[in-house]
Amino acid sequence: MSIPLGHYLMLSGLLFAIGLGGALTRKNAIIVLIGIEIMFNAGILNLIAFWHYKEFAVLTAQMFAIFSISIAAAESAIGLALVIAVYRYYKSVDVDEMASLKG
Amino acid sequence: METIYQLLRSTFAKAPDAVLLAIAIAIPILFIVAVYPLIFAYTTLVERKALGRVQNRYGPNRVGRWGILQPIADGLKLMLKEDIVPRSADKLVHFLAPVMAVIPSLLLFSVVPIAPGLVPVNLNIGILFAFAVSTASVLALFMGGWASRNKFSLLGAMRAVAQVVSYEVPMVLAAVAIVMAAGSLSTLAIVKAQSHGFANIGGWFVWRPWGFVGFVLFTIGAMAESARTPFDIPEAESEIIAGYHTEYSGFKFALFQLGEYLAAIAMAGITVTMFLGGYLGPGSGPGFFGGLMSAFWFFTKLGAMILLNIWIRGTWPRVRVDQLMAFAWKVLLPMSLINIVAVGVWQYMPSRGLAWAATTLVLVLSFVILSKLNATGTIERRTYRYAS
Amino acid sequence: MDIAFWIISVITAVGALLAVTLRNLVHCVLSLILFFLGIAAHYFLLRADFIAAVQILIYIGAVVVLILFAIMLTRNVTGTEGPREILGGKWWSGSMTAALIAAILCWAVSVDKAAMVAPAGAQAKSSVLQIGKILIADWVVPFEVMGVLLTAALIGAVVIALEEVRRRR
Repeated sequence: MSIPLGHYLMLSGLLFAIGLGGALTRKNAIIVLIGIEIMFNAGILNLIAFWHYKEFAVLTAQMFAIFSISIAAAESAIGLALVIAVYRYYKSVDVDEMASLKG
Repeated sequence: METIYQLLRSTFAKAPDAVLLAIAIAIPILFIVAVYPLIFAYTTLVERKALGRVQNRYGPNRVGRWGILQPIADGLKLMLKEDIVPRSADKLVHFLAPVMAVIPSLLLFSVVPIAPGLVPVNLNIGILFAFAVSTASVLALFMGGWASRNKFSLLGAMRAVAQVVSYEVPMVLAAVAIVMAAGSLSTLAIVKAQSHGFANIGGWFVWRPWGFVGFVLFTIGAMAESARTPFDIPEAESEIIAGYHTEYSGFKFALFQLGEYLAAIAMAGITVTMFLGGYLGPGSGPGFFGGLMSAFWFFTKLGAMILLNIWIRGTWPRVRVDQLMAFAWKVLLPMSLINIVAVGVWQYMPSRGLAWAATTLVLVLSFVILSKLNATGTIERRTYRYAS
Repeated sequence: MDIAFWIISVITAVGALLAVTLRNLVHCVLSLILFFLGIAAHYFLLRADFIAAVQILIYIGAVVVLILFAIMLTRNVTGTEGPREILGGKWWSGSMTAALIAAILCWAVSVDKAAMVAPAGAQAKSSVLQIGKILIADWVVPFEVMGVLLTAALIGAVVIALEEVRRRR
């Protein structure tokens, strides 16, 4: 396969930016968490692309990828539990309304 | 697929590569799509007749001799029924849910070996792929329950997802014990690791103590995964109407049934591959006649597992929702972890007799302790009172 | 084989874009599933089979189910799909930042001449046996720490989501 490394890096950069845009723009807290998951996946794709093109004899990058995937899953579990707890108090998942720490 | 490609390449040496590759890919796909839904159709018939016999009645026997044409009649009826979509339902999700029920079940068949070297896709990570794909079948339950905009469907979907996700864990851990014993995740390698035995039968993993416990755990997990009785809370007719597929009619309902039964058959296929020696049996081996015998043994064992499934469905009552979760997390999960320890003990014992003794001791002791810890009351002697 | 990269990249990017722009939350999750499948297909193309299978197993099998449960438990009391106006306040700064970051990253990669040339030579391959060996031999401490972390996350999530029930009593 003759795809240069640069194309993979640009793809993962683009996906990261899409996830970032979603996390910064939307009002619903669950979409923010979805954007964070997209950012995680873009980063891990970057890692595996470098593993494939630069140093595929050493499996350190795959270890990093396994740990990152597991930690991302744990983080999304905690994040969603927080969203559920906050929903019980504010009765909505709108991040603009969760402003009681402001100013 | 690779075996077919090699065969075609050796026969038509001058043909272009792309054509041979296309044929080599098309043949296993056609095989899966033709053979397994046919097995599904006649499984529905055999199930209804077997359940009927268990309940002291004949099954369907009107449509053709012994009800042979019953699946065709059922298929025609469901295809010609009106497709009702609730007005406030989410149309896209409502349409996609039955499709997502069928796709994982069909994908599971691609790693089940029929004969030596004859597996649709020879993946290095065969068993891992099978479990990854079977976890994706959870989504169909959820989408079906959500899209119907029906509180009962949603409740059924939530319970179904909780059940499927809880029973996946002991099922996958039971498979991990087998992967440890076989030394590879590829299904062909797992079957090959069971071929050292008397008449190709003695080497099956089910005859080992850890293999037997793993077989029981995996079968229970597989029955709960495809939501069959005694774990059919998701579609318990007397409790929640039809659960997550209440609002589906006609062909979409047929697709849900297809997905559920195909998942049960595919899980039976994977059980046969991992525990019962796959295609091994007296007379199986490489070559044309050996391949035929291997396929015969594979389908015989698959049929035996399906009959076991149907027998259990006809005989045991439904498990209650809280009992179900307690059973998965408090009994099956510790048992599967101890099973993994038992495989480790087996591999590192100096002699075979000592290995048998040690693993049997570990497994029996842990089972007794777990059942004592989880006992919810004594079982009283049942008294029958008859009219006199 | 190159066409596979482009097709899968388009599917992945479209999935990510739809996941953050659609109005209906369940449709967002469906395109997120498409995104995860696209990333898994990329891992298969990059010959990291184990990571691809782990991606499907963990993300599509567990994280998506988690997000769906959270959506179900936090529905608006009026029963509509979501707020009329889906964008938060000052949304233009967020999207401008994202577009700027995308432009800078793509420019930075395209400037590096060595990265834009197609490689020649050996293909990567990895085996699960090797991964298992180094996981237990070299990487055993992070492995155990991850186990403790996941247990802590499990207990923490249960405690956080259960809090209201305890307070009511």
